Amino acid sequence: MVIGVGRTGDSPQLSLTETVFTDKDVENIGNLHHIKDVAPVGIISLKKIIKREKFLTWDSQFGGTMYASNSVILEILDLEMVSGRIFEEGEREIVIDKSIADVFGENKPLSIGDSIYFQRIDGIVSKTKIVGIFKRKEDANIVGRLTSPSIVGPISPYYSTYFGSNVGRVILGRTSAYGILYARAIDKTGVVSAQNESLEYLNSDESDAHHYKDKNSDFVLITQEYIVSRVDQIMSVISMFITAIVLISLIAGGIGIANIMFATVTQRTREIGAIKALGARHSDILQLFLYQSILMGFFGAIIGCIVGALGSIVVIEFANNRISDIGGTYLSGTISLNYSNEWFIIATLVGVFVGIIAGALPARRAAKLDPVKALKYE
Amino acid sequence: MTELHALDNVSLKVKKGNVVSIMGPSGSGKSTLMNLIGCLDRPSQETIILDGEDITSYNDNQLAEIRGKKIGFAFQTFNLISSMTAQKNAELPMIFRHIDKNSRTKRARFLLQNLGLERWYSHYPSELSGGQQQRVAIARSLANNPPIILADEPTGNLDANTGEKVMELLTSFSEEKKTILLVTHDPSLKKYADRVIILMDGKISVEQ
Repeated sequence: MVIGVGRTGDSPQLSLTETVFTDKDVENIGNLHHIKDVAPVGIISLKKIIKREKFLTWDSQFGGTMYASNSVILEILDLEMVSGRIFEEGEREIVIDKSIADVFGENKPLSIGDSIYFQRIDGIVSKTKIVGIFKRKEDANIVGRLTSPSIVGPISPYYSTYFGSNVGRVILGRTSAYGILYARAIDKTGVVSAQNESLEYLNSDESDAHHYKDKNSDFVLITQEYIVSRVDQIMSVISMFITAIVLISLIAGGIGIANIMFATVTQRTREIGAIKALGARHSDILQLFLYQSILMGFFGAIIGCIVGALGSIVVIEFANNRISDIGGTYLSGTISLNYSNEWFIIATLVGVFVGIIAGALPARRAAKLDPVKALKYE
Repeated sequence: MTELHALDNVSLKVKKGNVVSIMGPSGSGKSTLMNLIGCLDRPSQETIILDGEDITSYNDNQLAEIRGKKIGFAFQTFNLISSMTAQKNAELPMIFRHIDKNSRTKRARFLLQNLGLERWYSHYPSELSGGQQQRVAIARSLANNPPIILADEPTGNLDANTGEKVMELLTSFSEEKKTILLVTHDPSLKKYADRVIILMDGKISVEQ
């Protein structure tokens, strides 16, 4: 569950600029009945990474994001350590994503023990040491899939946003303030309770966030279930749309086959008359033409399957390129292509079925031709 | 409404093994007579008895069966199936009688060979000359070894020389003597016929 401030409603939006959750809030939410753990997150946008080695300096323009948090965040986002260890609070240490180890090129990979500098978007340069490398689990949860920090480090010394610090006067003393919290419910069934409980706390007088948030903003709690249901909604709209296209294509394809068959019957009227004279029965001619239209449906379906499969590879490739163009390393998720073989079989059967339906009328017309008239047909 | 009689009171008996030429100007009822004998059509009155069977009240499928078994057709325009090879065309009537593939191939090749087409088995009609096409059509008409061959202007689309050859083959080549009904208005074909019937306005006017 992601807790933030922003706008609720049909499509809730998180505003990451309001930093209203204090350490006290984190602790109190963590103590709620249905909450397993909470990780406050300070989001630090990075500008570049610098590596100095003796007299050489490399730097890399780098649009990644660093999460300053506690070690629980890795669990919540389903990130697992590939090597090294996790950072210690208060130390100048970070863990990095596997995919950014090659930020200076494949021949100069970053590795554990390296000292590097990172420059934030506001220009501040900090020194740090890489102590571990993580990657996202294959079966990561949806929040983990949608959030991809490149670097995760401790809150202290890297994150220092305090109440009042950007207003000028410190009123409250120095208490850290976070824009976003990641929380986990005790178990799946407790998600709704955890959500209600957290919201109840946040809206109570006891919560600091309640006092410091903008009056026009609301607390926004986004659960995995919510994200999944939104994705499902979008997918169901897309699949309805695709179903409509498929139906129209099938009808158009069927009409196409019927049209060709009618043309064939007309064109071959004399031949039909001739084979009737040679002893072809009603059913023989019916079979002959149905066979042809079924073949058309069958091969049409097979060609359609091949074109569809190749087309989806191209589309997925394109989509993934766009995702990395837009999202950079922040959104490193990729869409994978899943075929289920039975759909190829179903598609072929549907093609055959369309062939039968579309061929039925023309075949009947052919079978019913009067041989005397058919033989005279010019 | 007045009924139009293409054929009026025609009574015709044909002996087995005879070659009968039916002649007459267009509109005289030749084609109608052919269609009736060929079981492609039913008479509005009276009956047709073929080989002792009264086929007047047969339905389409029964007629198709009779055609397949007892009648071989040769048309003026050949009417070969353009998408099939010569051999496949010759096999066609046997396919409708569900004869197995091996026997079909053997029979079709035997017929084509005897008609001088052994080099043309796998050629399509469009690759054959008119005379060759008509010979394929004759092979096809003989495929099921029917007792009756109906030839409707078989030489109509052929030049005189080729026509002669085709007629020679048609009348001379068959394992057993067939009854051949030859519809034509080409008087030169008279010489192949045992009997010539001339139709006029739906009636038999002369018999020679």
